[in-house]
Amino acid sequence: MDQEKVIAIENLTKMYGNHVGVKDLNLSVNKGEIMGFLGPNGAGKTTTIRTCLALIAKTAGEITIFGLDSHKDAVAIRKKTGYLPGDFGLIPSVKVKSYLKYLLSLRECKSAKKMLALAERLELDFDRKTHELSKGNKLKVGIVQALMADQELIIMDEPSGLDPLVQQEFYRILREEKKQGKTIFISSHNLAEVESVCDRVAIIRKGQLVVVEDIRVLREKTGKVLEVEFNDPVNIDEFKIKGVSEVHQDNDRFILTVHENLDDVIGAVSNHRILNMTLKTYSLEQLFLKYYEEAENRKRGGK
Amino acid sequence: MLGRITYMELRTGWKGILIFCILILIVSASIVQIFPFFRDSLTEELEGANQVSLELPTDEGTMITLSWEPLENATSYMVLEDTRVSMVTAKIAYSGEETSITFEKDFEEKRYYAVMAVIDEASDPVLIGIATTEKGEDPFKELLKNPVYAGFTGGRSISMLEVKGFVTLEFFSWWWMLAGLFIAYLSVSVIASDFENKRMDVMLSTPISRRRYLLEKFGAMSVIALLMILVAIVGLAGGLTSIYALSEFSAAAVMLSLIGCLPFLMVIAAVGMLTAVLFQKVRTGMGVTFAFVFAEFFLYTFGGFSKSLEWLKTISIFNYWDYSAVIIDDLFKSGDFVILTVLAIVLVVIGVWVFEKKDIPT
Repeated sequence: MDQEKVIAIENLTKMYGNHVGVKDLNLSVNKGEIMGFLGPNGAGKTTTIRTCLALIAKTAGEITIFGLDSHKDAVAIRKKTGYLPGDFGLIPSVKVKSYLKYLLSLRECKSAKKMLALAERLELDFDRKTHELSKGNKLKVGIVQALMADQELIIMDEPSGLDPLVQQEFYRILREEKKQGKTIFISSHNLAEVESVCDRVAIIRKGQLVVVEDIRVLREKTGKVLEVEFNDPVNIDEFKIKGVSEVHQDNDRFILTVHENLDDVIGAVSNHRILNMTLKTYSLEQLFLKYYEEAENRKRGGK
Repeated sequence: MLGRITYMELRTGWKGILIFCILILIVSASIVQIFPFFRDSLTEELEGANQVSLELPTDEGTMITLSWEPLENATSYMVLEDTRVSMVTAKIAYSGEETSITFEKDFEEKRYYAVMAVIDEASDPVLIGIATTEKGEDPFKELLKNPVYAGFTGGRSISMLEVKGFVTLEFFSWWWMLAGLFIAYLSVSVIASDFENKRMDVMLSTPISRRRYLLEKFGAMSVIALLMILVAIVGLAGGLTSIYALSEFSAAAVMLSLIGCLPFLMVIAAVGMLTAVLFQKVRTGMGVTFAFVFAEFFLYTFGGFSKSLEWLKTISIFNYWDYSAVIIDDLFKSGDFVILTVLAIVLVVIGVWVFEKKDIPT
């Protein structure tokens, strides 16, 4: 059975004069999922999001949200949508609380209960004046206002810059929202940041969609990068085991790309004295390269 | 038109509005206080004309005699002759120690004579008085026929010796600039600063349509304009009462002359909002809106310079707010009020249309 699509983008193109913002983008976000929208800066994430919200006009294509036309029915869509812009300003010299209450009233929401609960969980100081806020606190205001009216769809453009503990709380909140059946569309330029919270991820580069993948599949495909530095010389052959796709040696330093079997790999590594070790998720650039290589290979194989 | 956005605009801007209203109150109440002093000194100056007497030729004769009261300490006298009271093309008709001259009348048009006393060679001569070859005309009234004044007064003869004339010329000549430019500044900045400070994204992600956003901001401008007008009415009425001149100047005239500028201010506000959504920058919008206000003013002034340029007036908004008609002729031009109101509405509709078409910049 087809899942209910909350956002359906078909062949979206947005041109800024001669410059391509987004080209022929097809993407859909299902009800009740958290969809990550990944891409480097300038890839077209913000453009896509802002066309969905009718803040900018599309050049071509169709966007339907809740089955409504994104442009013609913009006001109806916004009644059910919470949005955190990537860059947003506050009204200076009003208290955080007044500002949020103002937005709550514009969102036609009568209850401030959720707003208060969110602010408390994110440790947002209500009585501060908006122009006194730090960047992180400003972001908290943005997150609270996007979620406070209990809307069905939540769109967030790069909510990064919270300190780690608050960030964890933020993701817990998103997961809870999801449990309540909310749909969340969240953009980021950092895979590691949203990996733990997303169900699916769409990757965009230079205005074009690279891939849409289930997060588990993505993890398996891409794996991790293990960087180890040993105290004594180690033979490179020791790491030619199942699950390691690539080994790169630089004196006593080894860089391993691991897709599966992480425990065996760690076992092999722990046979030696370790000076230093880091385990990293693929960077976006590496991810792109991988997907591009794959696409190229498929093309060659097809011939 | 009025809603939460209007309320927020007034709430966040109240300090500036308050300060401005206090300024209006002080200036409008105190400018009238100057009137008694101004009248006295003007009267003194005009009385000077009586110290000069001009004997015009009888039916048979052609000789004119001009005589004047001698001034103490004066070493010599000087008489200037001109066809205008402003003495811009004056030529010296006499210079010497006599206090009376006789000369032949060899002209048809009206002439003016200014008699001056030279007291000290090093300093400027002192005016004893002005006389004219056609009697019964107040030289000041003559001065008002000057095109520059006519531009202000709509060609009416307005006496600065009366409080009505004083208010028309002295109060209203700065009021339009003060109120008009403040509204121009506000209307541009309340919208363009939402663009510049990235507030538009959040604002327009709420179920507020662009039309409603703009109309509510316009609503805020209307409230502020009305408030300024009310404060000016209170200030002006208060000032007039304090110099016991309110009876000369009906309360209705105070009110209607200022109420008439409401649609005038709303047109400026609508232009400000239109430029704000067009350029999305405070500076550009402000520059264009200020230029609009001054251009309209110059169109009106130039239109008063000559009959052939009169059409210029019809395309100036200043033509449709005739405060001197209310004050001098007791005539409130409701047709003009409607014209400006319609113009403001049309401009707001265009503003909404433009706004709905434009991308919100990041």
